Amino acid sequence: MFSGPTTSMEELLQFLYLTPVGVVKFKADGAVDLINPAASAILLSLTPGEPLTNIYASLVSLAPDLPRHVAQFNENSGTVIDQQRLEAHAGGKTIVLSLSLKRVNDDVYMAVLKDVTKMAEQEQRLFADQQKFRAIFEYIHDYAIYTITLDGIMDEWNHSVERYSGWRAAEVQGYSISLFFPPEDPESPDLSALLAEAKRVGSVETEGWQRTRDNSRLWANTVITALPDGAGTVRGFVVVSRDMTERKRMEDNLKLLATVDSLTGAYNRRQGNVLLLAEFARRARDGRPFAALLLDIDHFKAINDRFGHAAGDTVLRALVLACQSTLRLIDIVVRWGGEEFLLLLPGVGTGEAVTTAERVRAVIAAMQIPILDGAPLRITVSIGAAVPAGESPEQLLRRSDVALYAAKAGGRNKVVLAP
Amino acid sequence: MEAIMGWAFNDPGLLAKLEAADDTTLDTAPFGVVAMAIDGKVTSYNAAESRLSGLSPSSVIGRHFFSDVAPCTNNYLVAHRFETEPTLDISIDYVFTLRMRPTSVRLRLLNQPGHQRMFLVVERV
Repeated sequence: MFSGPTTSMEELLQFLYLTPVGVVKFKADGAVDLINPAASAILLSLTPGEPLTNIYASLVSLAPDLPRHVAQFNENSGTVIDQQRLEAHAGGKTIVLSLSLKRVNDDVYMAVLKDVTKMAEQEQRLFADQQKFRAIFEYIHDYAIYTITLDGIMDEWNHSVERYSGWRAAEVQGYSISLFFPPEDPESPDLSALLAEAKRVGSVETEGWQRTRDNSRLWANTVITALPDGAGTVRGFVVVSRDMTERKRMEDNLKLLATVDSLTGAYNRRQGNVLLLAEFARRARDGRPFAALLLDIDHFKAINDRFGHAAGDTVLRALVLACQSTLRLIDIVVRWGGEEFLLLLPGVGTGEAVTTAERVRAVIAAMQIPILDGAPLRITVSIGAAVPAGESPEQLLRRSDVALYAAKAGGRNKVVLAP
Repeated sequence: MEAIMGWAFNDPGLLAKLEAADDTTLDTAPFGVVAMAIDGKVTSYNAAESRLSGLSPSSVIGRHFFSDVAPCTNNYLVAHRFETEPTLDISIDYVFTLRMRPTSVRLRLLNQPGHQRMFLVVERV
């Protein structure tokens, strides 16, 4: 015999009055037998005039097929409808219901009604977000957007990354992001340090070369942002890489334009000053010597006057080419003034400075420079050489200038070492 | 008592009578009466209403009527009107799920500024 605590009829009624989902017991013809307030609230909001005596009548606008579904259900008990979504429009609002229907036995049916409007709206928003992201991944160019795990393993692959990198999903599933930053490349960033920093401060940005599938390189700006879960724990990262190769090329180009003399391809005077100061700094830091040669074309004005400026330009270009091919790669050729050039020879001391200057002088003196009309031109240069000795860059330049004048005064086509 | 009060659902002076009545007097009404404080908490639940719903006054009094007792009235037709209209005297046809049976009723919603209580009157059709 049952001897536990009893539940009063009133408690059961209260329980049903307060049940937050709609429950309806009805007969095959739709006649409502029992209905709780939650169900009546839902049905009344759909059909305010209905007396709630027949569930089919209350749901006719949303589920006109309901009587047919029930009639065609040929098992004696079981689920007729399982959480079907019904959409209703009432009072300018869209209401989404979830309907489940069960046959209990011959003429006893139970329906569960839930207002899932909010859930449906959330799903709709989620779906819209997904569509948005899909559209971004599908159509965005020059960007790769993907997620990685805490260890840098790529766990999501989409069209944006495919287009960006050339790799297809199947080829790189589960690979590390270091696919883009080969560890053997000295320019690759330290990935674990980057990820640790992103985890610590939320986001890091890095710019540099990345490898693509065909082993070409692209210059990219990459932002790695920590992805916290609902509890604020970082579970991975979003990576957004932007292909900036074109911009990088343009920047390099601009830099070149700003530092190089457009006529001859030698460095311009401004960049010459920068490089001169850098040599001074290196000498002060590492004690590495260098030599400065100031070179001037002899009687250049006469060439211009006699053969025209075009011929003069040709001479200047030929001279720079001759210097560059005679000197080492690390030596620096600067167009210092009109027909005056500064040659910086890193690591070169007094003796070698004079030898090198002499070699340059001889090579130039031996050149035959073809011009448009007339026989090839021949030129000579005078060179003043100086090696810094605890002085300022200005003083060094003045000493080489004095030496250059001495070379001119000594008959030109000469090298003079500053005392 | 009933005769003395002369209870009638459509009585234009019903609000004044309800206001003046104590619980014992309210129990003599042939229709359900729910009295609520301004915040919606039940202060009186008369015998007729108790019979209709199957809930005893002691289990209802002190609880919020629209959310805790009769959620099917927590909508723009009933609760919203009490919450937004300080002067209210309107009758509407409604369906209650009394003891889970769909029951057609007539409701009269009564409220007046300055009064301590508002009333929901329920009559079976």
